[in-house]
Amino acid sequence: MKKQVSLALAAVMAAGMLTACGGGAASSAPASSAPASSTAESTAASTEAAAGDALSADITLWTYPVGNFKDETAVGEVIANFNAKYPGINVKVEYLDYANGDDQVTAAIEAGTTPDIILEGPERLVANWGAKGKMLDISDLWTDEQTKDIAAVSESVVAACKNADGVYYEFPLCMTTHTMAINKEMFEAADALQYINEDGTWTTENFEKALQALKDSGVDTTCIVYCGAQGGDQGTRALVNNLYSGKFTSADHQTYTADSAENKKALQQLVDWSNAGLISYDASFAAADELQLFANGTIAMSFCWNASNQNQYASSVTFTPMPVAFPSDDGVPELCGGIWGFGIFDNGDATRAAAAKEFVKFVCEDPDQAVESVRMTGFFPVRASLGDVYAGTADADRMAQFSGFMPYLGDYYNVAPAWAEQRTEWWNMLQRCFMGTAVDESVQTYIDNCNAAIAAA
Amino acid sequence: MPSKTKTPKDTALVYNQGTFRNSALVRQQTVAAYLFLLPALVFFCLFVVVPMVMCLVTSFFDYRMGKPLTFVGFAQYIKMFKDPIFLKALKNTFILVIVAVPAVAIFSLWVSSTIYKMHAFTRSFYRCVFYLPVVTGTVAVAVVWKWMFNKYTGILNYILSSLGLIEQNISWLGDERTALACIILILFTTSIGQPIVLYIAALGNVDPSLIDAAQVDGANNFQVFWHIKWPQIMPTTLYILVITTINTFQCYALIQLLTSGGPNHATDTIMYYIYYQAFKLNDYGYGDAMGVVLAIIIAVLSAVQFKVTGSGSTD
Amino acid sequence: MESSVQSKKLTPGKVITNVVLVLLAIFFIFPLYWIITGSFKDPVAVNANPPVWFPTNPTLYNYERLFQNPALRWLGNTVFMAVMAMLLTCITASMAGYALAKKRFPGRALVFSIMICAMALPKQVILIPLLKEMSFFNLHDNIWSVILPTVGWPFGVFLMKQFSETIPGEMLEAARIDGAGEALTFVKIVLPMVTPGIGALAIFTFINSWNDYFLQLIMLSSRNNLTISLGIAKLQAEMSNDFGLIMAGAALAAIPIIAVFLAFQKYFTQGIAMGAVKG
Repeated sequence: MKKQVSLALAAVMAAGMLTACGGGAASSAPASSAPASSTAESTAASTEAAAGDALSADITLWTYPVGNFKDETAVGEVIANFNAKYPGINVKVEYLDYANGDDQVTAAIEAGTTPDIILEGPERLVANWGAKGKMLDISDLWTDEQTKDIAAVSESVVAACKNADGVYYEFPLCMTTHTMAINKEMFEAADALQYINEDGTWTTENFEKALQALKDSGVDTTCIVYCGAQGGDQGTRALVNNLYSGKFTSADHQTYTADSAENKKALQQLVDWSNAGLISYDASFAAADELQLFANGTIAMSFCWNASNQNQYASSVTFTPMPVAFPSDDGVPELCGGIWGFGIFDNGDATRAAAAKEFVKFVCEDPDQAVESVRMTGFFPVRASLGDVYAGTADADRMAQFSGFMPYLGDYYNVAPAWAEQRTEWWNMLQRCFMGTAVDESVQTYIDNCNAAIAAA
Repeated sequence: MPSKTKTPKDTALVYNQGTFRNSALVRQQTVAAYLFLLPALVFFCLFVVVPMVMCLVTSFFDYRMGKPLTFVGFAQYIKMFKDPIFLKALKNTFILVIVAVPAVAIFSLWVSSTIYKMHAFTRSFYRCVFYLPVVTGTVAVAVVWKWMFNKYTGILNYILSSLGLIEQNISWLGDERTALACIILILFTTSIGQPIVLYIAALGNVDPSLIDAAQVDGANNFQVFWHIKWPQIMPTTLYILVITTINTFQCYALIQLLTSGGPNHATDTIMYYIYYQAFKLNDYGYGDAMGVVLAIIIAVLSAVQFKVTGSGSTD
Repeated sequence: MESSVQSKKLTPGKVITNVVLVLLAIFFIFPLYWIITGSFKDPVAVNANPPVWFPTNPTLYNYERLFQNPALRWLGNTVFMAVMAMLLTCITASMAGYALAKKRFPGRALVFSIMICAMALPKQVILIPLLKEMSFFNLHDNIWSVILPTVGWPFGVFLMKQFSETIPGEMLEAARIDGAGEALTFVKIVLPMVTPGIGALAIFTFINSWNDYFLQLIMLSSRNNLTISLGIAKLQAEMSNDFGLIMAGAALAAIPIIAVFLAFQKYFTQGIAMGAVKG
C-alpha cells in the first residue's frame, strides 16, 4: 500500500514538474513590475552617491574567463568600485571555464538558479540562451547615445548583440580580432620572417614557404591544427576560410558554407600539408593544449592568439610571441572577431534585474570604471568615446601590435542558427579530413548535419 | 570467510510458528517491516523512482530548452535508430563491454588464483595495488593518463620511442585507431580491483580437502580448477560479470575528461551521447529516450548473464 | 599457507608468473607515482623530454598555486559530503536490508525487484529530473543535493539484505518471545550481526561518493561549494596542460582517500567479499 502511495506521489510530482517546465517556456517575461525601490528605503542613509543607493538587492555575476575577469582580485576591485556608488547592491561572483561552463549554465537554467548577469559573447548570450528565451530583453540599455557610440567603432558589434527581431540580449564591453602568433626567434632561425609582411599579413604561398623553411631548419612540429572539441574554434575557422578567401556562412548568416570551392580547396591544402609533414593536427588537443605547447616553445605557431593571450603569456615565455594575421591567397585576411559583454538572465525578479542593469551600466559606461573594465579584459573597447584606453600605459606597445589588425576584422557570423551543433560538427569534420576521409565527403556530412540541426531548431 | 552459517532461506519462521499464526501478528509484522523500510524508501522514491518515471514520461515528448513541451509518441525512439551517431555510440559501447568485461573477468581470475595462496602479507599487498586505481578516483586517474598519453610530453611515447617501438610520437587519444583502446585500458585498470577482492575470497572458500582428494586421484592443475574450483566460484563470476557490465555501460567520466567522444566519434558511447544531447544541445527528450533504451539493454544483458551462467553452473 | 610447501618450489612457470605480477603491480602503481612526483616538479621538469623520473629538485610551487584556490575548502566539502552520505546510507540500508531479508510482508518482492532493476539504470539520465527536484527543494548548489541522491541509490539496501540473510531466525524469535520490541531487537540483535556488512558499505559509500564526479558537476556551481573532484576537473579545464598544478590537485584528492582505504582495507575487502559470496 505504501508502494502505491509512493508511486502515486511519484506520478503527481512528475506531472507537476512537467507542467512547470512547459509553462515556464510559454510564459515569458513576468513583467510584474514589482516595486523596484520599495525595499530600498531601509538601506538609504548614505547621501553621497546619486541614484545608485536607492537600489538594494543581492545579485550574482557569472563570468567566463574573459581576460582578467577570471581573476578574483581584479573582479573584486570592480565590485568595490561599484559598491562605492551602489552600496545597497551586493554582487556575488562565480567563475566559469569553457570546458564545463555551458553545462553549469544548462544546469542552472533547469534548476531555476541562473545568475543575474553573465559575461560572454553573442554566440552564447544571443544565439543560444537568448534564442531559447532565457535572457532578458535589455534594449533599454541601448540608448541612442550608447548605440551611436558603439556603432562608431563597429556596426557589426551592434548587429551581433541583438536577435533577428531587433531585441538586444547583450550589452558589449570589449572586442578583439583573433589572430595567429609566431615564435619570432624560431622564424628568425629559419630565415622565415621574410615571408611575413611589415603589417603582419602574409599570403598562402608565403605561409607554405615559411612552413618549409621551418621544417628545413629542423623544427619538428611547426604548428598543430587542434581539433579536439571545446574552445578556440575561431582559430581553425579563420585558418580554413582565409587560405583561399572562403566564407564561413552565407551573407545573411542563415546557412553554413564550408562546401564552397574555396573552403574545400583550403581543407585539401591543409590535409596535403599535413601529409607532407609541414603541419600537424591533433584530435585530442583543445586550443589550450596547443597554446601551452606554443608557450613552451615546442611549436612555432599558435592559431589561437589575441591581445589577452599575449598579455597572459608575455611574462612566462622565453621567446618573443609575435602576432600575425592568418595567411590568405590575396594577402588581405578577414579576421574573426571576438565580442564580449554582459547579458541578464530572466529570473522574474524586477528588483534584481534593475540592480543587474545598474551593474552592467556601471562596468561598461561609468566614466571612471569603463576604461578600467576594458583594460581588465586585455581587449579593445567597443565604445568610440573611450578612445585609446591603453595610451600611456605599459601595455600601449603590445596593444598597438593588435590594433593594426582591426581593419581586417571580418564578418561576425557566430550568431548563425544551430551554432552549438555546428561547433561539434566542425571539429568532427576537421578530424575526418585529417584522418583520410575525402574532403568532399567529410564536408558534405558537416553540411548535411548542420542543415538537419537548423531544420530541427 | 564463514559463510557456513546456515542460511535460513525461509524465515517465515518468525511469524509462521505453529498455532500462533493470526492476522493481527501479520499486520503488525507488515507495519514493522514498512517502518524499517521507510527511510530507505523515501530516499529511493524521491531520488531514484521519481526521476526515473519523469525520464520515462519525457522520453515521449519533444522536450528541449526553450521549446514548448509537445507529445511526440515514439518519435524520439524512431529518430534514435536513424541517427548514425547514436548507432556508432551503440557500437562503441558494445565494443567496450565485449572487450572490457571478459578481460576484467579473466584477468582478475588469473591474478586471484595466482595470489590467493601467497603469504597473507604479499596477498594483501597485491590486492591493494590492484585496488589502487579504484580508490584514486576517476578524475585523478583521468588527468594523469591524459598526461601520460600526451603526444608531446607524455611518458608513453617516450618509453615506446626509446625502445624503438614507434618512430613518430603518437597522439594516443587523438587517433581514431587508438583512442577507444586507450579508454578500454584505463577502464580496465579501474575495474579489476573489486573482482580480484571477490575472487580471492571465493577461492579461499573452496574446501582444500576436495582439492587434495582430486590431486591424489591424479588430477592436473587444470582439471582441479575446472572440476573443483570453477563450480564453486561460479556465483562470484556471475556477480562480477553483472557489476562489470553495468559499470562499463555507464562509463562516462573518463570519456568526458579525456576525449569528449572524439576523434570523429571514435569514443562516443551511449552514456556520453546522452550527456551531449542533454547538456550541450539541451535536447532532454532525446537524451531521456536514449537513457530508457540503455536501461533496457543493461537489464536484458544482466538477465541473460544470469541465465547463461546460472544454467552453466548446475553441472 | 596451506600449500606453502608447494609454493616454495621454484619452477620456470612460477618465475614467469611472478615477474609478470611484479610488472603489473608497477603498471598499476605508476599512475599514482606519476601524480605524486609530478606534483613536486617545476614547470621545466614537468615538460622535460626525456621525462624526469624523480624530481631531484622538489618544489612546492604547484601546491602554492593550488592553495590559491580554495582547495582546503573543497577538501572539507568532500569530507562532509562523503561522511554524511556514508552515515545516512548505512542507517537507511541496514534497516531496509533487515526488513527485506527477515520480514514477510505484502509488497516485499515488488520493492526488492524495483530496487534491483534501478541498479541497472544509467544514473546520468535521471540528472535533469533530479535537478528539477533539487531546485524544488531549494537545494541546487548545496552539498546536500549531492548527498541525498547518493543515499537513495539502492546498492546499500541490496548489500545489507545479503548480510541480514545470515541472521538466524531463531535468535529473532527468541528476542520476540522475551518481549523485546522491534526497535530493541534491531539494535541488540541485528546490528551486531551485520556489523561487517555495515563496515564494508561504509567504506564503499565513502569511496564512491568521494570519487563521484558527474552528479557534483551538475549540482554544484559556486567556487566555494565545489568538491575536490570538481576542483581538479576545473583546474584541468582552466589550465589544460599545466600538469604540475593538476597533479598537485590530483594528489590532494587521492591521498586522503587512499589513506582511508589502506587503514580500513582489511575490513573493506572482507565485507565486500562476504556480501558478494552471500549473493
